Amino acid sequence: MSLFSKFKGAASGATSPGTNSPSHKHKKDVEPEPEITPLVKMLQNAGPIRNDGSDKFFGMENFGNTCYCNSIVQALYFSVPFRENVINYPPHSPLDTPNGHLPVVTPIRVIQNGGAVPATNKPKGISAAEAMKRRAAINAGQPVPATPGQRPEDKPDSPEYKKKHAMLAGPILELTYESASSYGMEESTFTALKDIFIALIANQSRTGVLSPQRFLEIFKRDNEMFRTSMHQDAHEFYGLVLNAVISNVEANAQRIKELAPPQDDNSLAQSMKTAVTSAATAMGLASGARSPGTGWVHEIFEGVLTSETKCLTCETASQRDETFLDLSIDLEQHSSVTSCLRKFSAEEMLCERNKFHCDNCGGLQEAEKRMKIKRLPKILALHLKRFKYTEDMTRLQKLFHRVVYPYHLRMFNTTDDAEDPDRLYELYAVVVHIGGNAYHGHYVSVIKTQDRGWLLFDDEMVEPVDKHYVRNFFGDKPGMACAYVLFYQETTVEAMRKEQEAEGLAEVALASAEAGVALGHPQPNGTHPASISKAVSIPSTPVDEHQEFVSLDHAVTAPLPVSPQMPRSAPPFMATPSVTALNVTKMKTKEDKEREKKESKDAEKARKVAEKAAEKERQKAEEKKRKDLENSRKEYQRTQAEQVRLAMAASKQSAADDEERRKREAAGAGTPSESSKENGHPEKEKEKDKSFGGLGSLSRAHRGSKSMSKKSFGFLGNKNGEGKSTDDPSHTAVEGESGPQTPEKHTKTTKDRFSFSGLGRKKSNLMNS
Amino acid sequence: MFVLPPPPRYPSQAAYNLAVANGQAAPMIETNNILTHPTGPEYQLVVGEGTYILKEDLHLATPPPHPSEAPVVNPNPLATTPQPATAGTKLSLLSFSSRSSAPFLYKVDTNRSTRSGLQSSIQEHPSEERPSGDFVPGSSDGGGTSMTGSARAPLSIGSAPAFGEGNSMLSPTATSKDAGKRRKPKNNIAKSNSSFISRCIVHENLTKRLQERPSDGYFAFANINRAFQWLDLSSPQKAEHLTKILFTKGHCLCHDINQTTKATNHIDLIMGFSTGEIIWFEPISQKYTRLNKNGIINATPVSEIRWIPGSENLFLAAHMDGSLVVYDKEKDDAAFLPEENGTHTNGDSEKSNGSGEHSAKLHVDKSVHSKNQKFNPVSFWKLSNQRINAFAFSPDNRHLAVVSEDGTLRIIDYLKEQLLDLYASYYGGFLCVCWSPDGKYVLTGGQDDLVSIWSVAESTIVARCQGHQSWVTAVCFDPWRCDDRNYRFGSVGEDCRLLLWDFSVGMLHRPKASSVRQRGSVSSRFASPLQRAETQNTSTSRLRSNSSPSYESDEDHTVEHPVEPRATTAMLPPVMSKVVDVDPLCWLEFTEESIITSCKSGHIRTWDRPRDTTGSKSDTTLASA
Repeated sequence: MSLFSKFKGAASGATSPGTNSPSHKHKKDVEPEPEITPLVKMLQNAGPIRNDGSDKFFGMENFGNTCYCNSIVQALYFSVPFRENVINYPPHSPLDTPNGHLPVVTPIRVIQNGGAVPATNKPKGISAAEAMKRRAAINAGQPVPATPGQRPEDKPDSPEYKKKHAMLAGPILELTYESASSYGMEESTFTALKDIFIALIANQSRTGVLSPQRFLEIFKRDNEMFRTSMHQDAHEFYGLVLNAVISNVEANAQRIKELAPPQDDNSLAQSMKTAVTSAATAMGLASGARSPGTGWVHEIFEGVLTSETKCLTCETASQRDETFLDLSIDLEQHSSVTSCLRKFSAEEMLCERNKFHCDNCGGLQEAEKRMKIKRLPKILALHLKRFKYTEDMTRLQKLFHRVVYPYHLRMFNTTDDAEDPDRLYELYAVVVHIGGNAYHGHYVSVIKTQDRGWLLFDDEMVEPVDKHYVRNFFGDKPGMACAYVLFYQETTVEAMRKEQEAEGLAEVALASAEAGVALGHPQPNGTHPASISKAVSIPSTPVDEHQEFVSLDHAVTAPLPVSPQMPRSAPPFMATPSVTALNVTKMKTKEDKEREKKESKDAEKARKVAEKAAEKERQKAEEKKRKDLENSRKEYQRTQAEQVRLAMAASKQSAADDEERRKREAAGAGTPSESSKENGHPEKEKEKDKSFGGLGSLSRAHRGSKSMSKKSFGFLGNKNGEGKSTDDPSHTAVEGESGPQTPEKHTKTTKDRFSFSGLGRKKSNLMNS
Repeated sequence: MFVLPPPPRYPSQAAYNLAVANGQAAPMIETNNILTHPTGPEYQLVVGEGTYILKEDLHLATPPPHPSEAPVVNPNPLATTPQPATAGTKLSLLSFSSRSSAPFLYKVDTNRSTRSGLQSSIQEHPSEERPSGDFVPGSSDGGGTSMTGSARAPLSIGSAPAFGEGNSMLSPTATSKDAGKRRKPKNNIAKSNSSFISRCIVHENLTKRLQERPSDGYFAFANINRAFQWLDLSSPQKAEHLTKILFTKGHCLCHDINQTTKATNHIDLIMGFSTGEIIWFEPISQKYTRLNKNGIINATPVSEIRWIPGSENLFLAAHMDGSLVVYDKEKDDAAFLPEENGTHTNGDSEKSNGSGEHSAKLHVDKSVHSKNQKFNPVSFWKLSNQRINAFAFSPDNRHLAVVSEDGTLRIIDYLKEQLLDLYASYYGGFLCVCWSPDGKYVLTGGQDDLVSIWSVAESTIVARCQGHQSWVTAVCFDPWRCDDRNYRFGSVGEDCRLLLWDFSVGMLHRPKASSVRQRGSVSSRFASPLQRAETQNTSTSRLRSNSSPSYESDEDHTVEHPVEPRATTAMLPPVMSKVVDVDPLCWLEFTEESIITSCKSGHIRTWDRPRDTTGSKSDTTLASA
C-alpha cells in the first residue's frame, strides 16, 4: 500500500502537476473509484490558481500524534497577515522575484518527482497507510466506535476512510528538505514553517496532502518536551511556534547586523536592509515599534495587558504592562467566551500566600488586582482552559463545560485609554480537541477561508463544512469534541455585512438540506446521478492554457533536477527590486508592478474572466442543487415503491450506501437511550459544583501561566519591567511609516527612539549585544 | 422494502401506564411528564419587592427519535452532515379569563388612526368570556402567548387598521361570520395516517377534564423535540397532558394561539416545523390542516410563527432563509414565485450610495395588496439571506420587530410593508425580541450576552444591559410591574440564569459616568458612529480594504443605524440574577401570579410572585424567615 501511494505520487508528479487524472487511473486497479470528495467538488471550476496561497487546501500528514502540529499550522496558514509576512520575510527571499512564485516551484517539483527517493531514505518513512493504521490504533480508545470486524478506514463515512483516500489522491508534498539557506537564514522553526507555506503556494494543485516532516524535526530538535510520540498540547505548541518564529526572525536580524555589508552576496539591497535592521535591533524590540522587517509577528499577534494593582494598605495603585500573544481564559459551565473574558478581567484579591509586594508600603500587602487589555492585537488567540488539574494536582482533567462562542466578538475588558476599544473581531479558526483528557485525543481545526467558507482540517483530510458546524464544539455535544483555541481576527462591520450577504445563498441551500434531512430525504450531496457523472468527467483542477503556459515558463527558468538550495543563485538579479523594498507593503506594490510587467495583461484579464465565470457557475450549481432537491422531494412523495426503485438505482452510487446504512442504523437504534439525560442532571450538578470549588484555588495558579508565551517573549528582550509607559503608540506609527525613507533618515529616527527608550531597557540591550 | 412496523399505539396514556405497571408492555424510553416541588433557598428569587418561590417543576418527557428518523446523535463528533434545526421547549399560554389582565397602562395613540380598521369579524365572534370586542386586555391571554406575549395586542386591536385592509380579495368570507360554527381544520389528528404525524395520544378523560377545570386557569401548549403537548396548568394532574402529538419527522419549533378566535370550544393553534411545514391545529376537536406542505412555498425551518393581531385567519411565519411569509390558515398552498411588481422598500437610497449588494433590507416579493389572493402565501417579504430568529408585533398592532442571526433588528411597518429602522447588535446575532407594554421600547437579547433597550420613537439605543454570562435567549416585560415611567423586564439565557431588570426613563437619560472619563481619549469617535470610526482607523489596513463607506445616506431618513460605541451607551445592571435551572433556558413569561421559565431539556418552572404585592417589605422578611 505504501509503495503504491509513493508510486502514485511520483506518477502524478511526472505529469502536469495539478491534474490528478493519472491518480484516478491507478486507483482503479486496487480500490473502487472513490467518489469525488466534497472539497474537490467545491473547487471545480475554481479558475486559475492564485499566487497568494488563499486557495490551497491541503491536508497534513499525521506521523502519530502530531495532530497538534497540523491543526495549529493550518490555523496559522489561513491567517492572511501571518501567511503573507512569513512569505515576505526575509524580504530578499525567493518569493520576491518578479514573477512571484517562480523559483519556489522548483523544490516542490523535485520533491514530487523524486518523491519516493528521499522518503525511503528518511528514518521516519511512514507511509500513508501505516500512518492511518497507527492513527486508528491510537484512536482505538477513543469515542469514535469502530465496528468490530471492520477496519475503520473501510467505512466510507469514517474519517479514516477519507484520510486514506486523501493520501491516495495526493499529491503528497514531502517536505523533507530545508531551504533555509536560500532565505539567507539558519535553519529554524521559522524557515521550516516558511518552507511549508511556500510549498503550498507554489504547488499547482489546490488539494493534496502535505507532509511536514522537516518542520517537526526542527521543532522537536528545539523543544525537548515534544520529542516523544505522545499526545501534546496544541496551545503549548502554538505558543512555542510563535515564540520560535519571533526569536528566529530576531536572531536573523541580529546575524545580518553582525555581517558586514560587503560580505553579503547581494550587495545593495542587503546593505540597506542591514543598516535598517541593525539600527532597529540595536534599540531593542520592546517598545512595540520594531524594525520593519521583524516586527510583524508582534504586530499581528501581540496585545498589551495592563494589570492594575491597588494596595489595600496604602491605597496606592500601580500599573504594569505586559505583552501577550494569546489569552488563556478560565471556563465556567454554561458560559460564553465573552463572559469568560470578563471574568479574566474581574477584580482579584491578592491575599494570604499570594500577597502583593507594595513598593510604597515596602512589604507584602493585601491588594486588588485586575487585568485589562490596553492594546488589542490584530489576531486574538483565545485559549480555553479545558485542562485543569484534579484536586490532588496529579492529573489534568478535561472540563466539558458548555462554553458558547459567537462568530463575532468585541472586547469588554479594555482599559479606558485603549485605542479602538470597540474593535470588531471575527472568528476565523477553531482548534478542537477530541478526547476525554489531556493525555489522549485528537486535534482538528475548523477554519474560515477567504472565499471558500468554513473547512474542516482533520490531518490528511479537508472537508467543507457549513457555518453552523462551527457551533458543534461548545462542549455539550456527545463525542467529547470541544473548542480549545479560538482565533479571532479583526474585521469591520462593512466586511461583516458583505460576507453575510454572500453567505446567504449557501445558507439557503443548507437550510433546504436541513429540511431534507428532517424529511428523511437523501442528502443532496453526491446522491444525484447527474452531479456525480459531471463531477467525474471534469478534471478536479482545471488547467487552462494560460496556466499550462505559466508552468512551462517555470520549467524553463528553473530546471527540474535542481537542489533546494538552487534559488540562492537568484538574489543577484533580484537586487534591484528589493532595494526600495524595505517596507513590506511598499515592496508588495513594487512586486505587483513587476509582475504585471512580466505576465501579460491578457493573462490577468483571462484570469479575472475565468474567476467571474466560475462564480457564476457556482451560483448556477447552487441553484441547480436546490432545484434537484425539490425535485427529489416531490419524487419521494409519490410512492414508497418509487422510492425503493430510486434507492436501488442509486445504490450504485456510494451515497446510496450512506442512506442504506442510515436506515439500517435507524432500525437498529430505534430506542436509543436518549432519556438518560433525565437522570443525568444530578450528576451534572455535582460536577459543576466540584469544578466551581476547584476553580477558585486553581485559577490563580493558572493565571500565572496566562501567557507562557508572554514569558518567553520577555526573554526575548521584551520584559518591560514595572511602570512601562514608553509604549507610545505614536512611535509605532512613526516607525511603521518610516520604511520607505532613506536609510540615514531611518537610522536617525530609530536612534532617537533608542535614546528615548534606552533607560528602561537594559535587559533588552543586553540581549541584543 | 423499507416498510417499518407501525409505531405502537395505546388507546390512552393511562392504559399505557397500566400496561407498563403490569409488565405487559415493555416500558418505552419515552416517559411521562414528571411534576416535582423542589424547595430550599436555591429555589427562591429575592428581589426588592419580595421573594419569588418555586412553586413547581414540570418536566416534560423527551420523546425518543422516531424509528424512521435518522438518529440525531452521530457517534462521530466531526460528522459533517447537517442536523435538523431544533429549539428548546417553548410554551404558549392560554387563559379564557380576563381576571388576570395586566394593569392598563397603554395610551391609545389616537392621532394615528381611527377605528375604522376594525375587522368586521372581530366584533362578531363570541365574546361570552370577554367584556367587549374592541378592548381585549392582552394579558387575558395569560400575559400573552410567548416570549413577547404579555406586551402584545392589549388595547390596540381597535387602534390600527387591519392587515391587508383595502384589499377586497382578503375580506373574510361569508362563512366565517357564522360565529357559532367557527371553521375547523379538515383532518382528524388521532385517526390520521399522515406520514408526518406519528401518533396522537389523547387523555382518556379529556372531555371531563375540560368541563371540570376552572375557567380562569391556564392552558399551556409546549413543544419538546418531536413532541407537542397540551397541558392544563390549573389542574392538579397537570403532569398528565390533555393531548400529546408525536411527529414523525421534523420538530415543532414554534407555535402560537389565536387570541382573537379563542373560545372554550375553539382554539386556533398554529405550529411551525423544522421542515418548513406549518400545521393549523384545533385541539378541542382534534382536527388539523397542513400548510406549506412539503415546503412548497418555503422549505426552510420556521423559527417563529404568530397570528397577526386581530386577524382570524392570517398568521406570519419567519423562515430561516430570511423570509417573512403571511399565510391564511384556510387557503390552499400554491408554489410561490416572486411577483413581478415586487418592490424594494428603502432600497433606493441605499443603492445610490453604492452599497449595492445589501441594498434591499425589505424586499416585498408578494404584497398583501396583491390581487392574486386565491392561494397562500398572502404576502411574502424577504429581509436578507440570514436566519430570522424571532419577531414580535407591537402593542399598537402597527409595527413588527424582527431580529436575525446577522445581528440586525428591523422595525417594520407591516401594514405599509415598509422598513422603518435597522439597528445592529454590539456583536453577534440577536436571538429574541419583545416590545414594552406601551410600545415605546423594544428589547433584544443576543450573542453579545446583552439585553439591549431600543427606543422606537427616538430611533436609538437606550441602554445595554450587562449581566448575563452567556447568550440571551428570551426577554419579556412584566406588565404587572410596569407603569408609564418605570419598567420591569426579565431575561433568560444559555447561562441557565433568570435576570430581572428595572429601568426608568429618567435614569436612562443620565449619561454614563465612565463615558465622561473617557471623553478625552476617544473624543473623535463621539460624534461619529462606530463604523465610520473603524473605517477611518484602518483604511490603510489590507484586511479591511474592501470596506467601502456605505453609511453616508444618513441625510434623509436614517434607516440603517450604526453600532453605538460602548463608551457612549448607558449600561444597566440587573436587580436580580439567579441560576434557575440546570440546563440552558429558552423561554420566559410573566403571569399575574408567577414567572414561568422553560429550559432546553423540558423543565417548566413556575415561580410564584411574592404573596402580598402591596406590602413588599413584609414579604421579604417572610421569605427570608
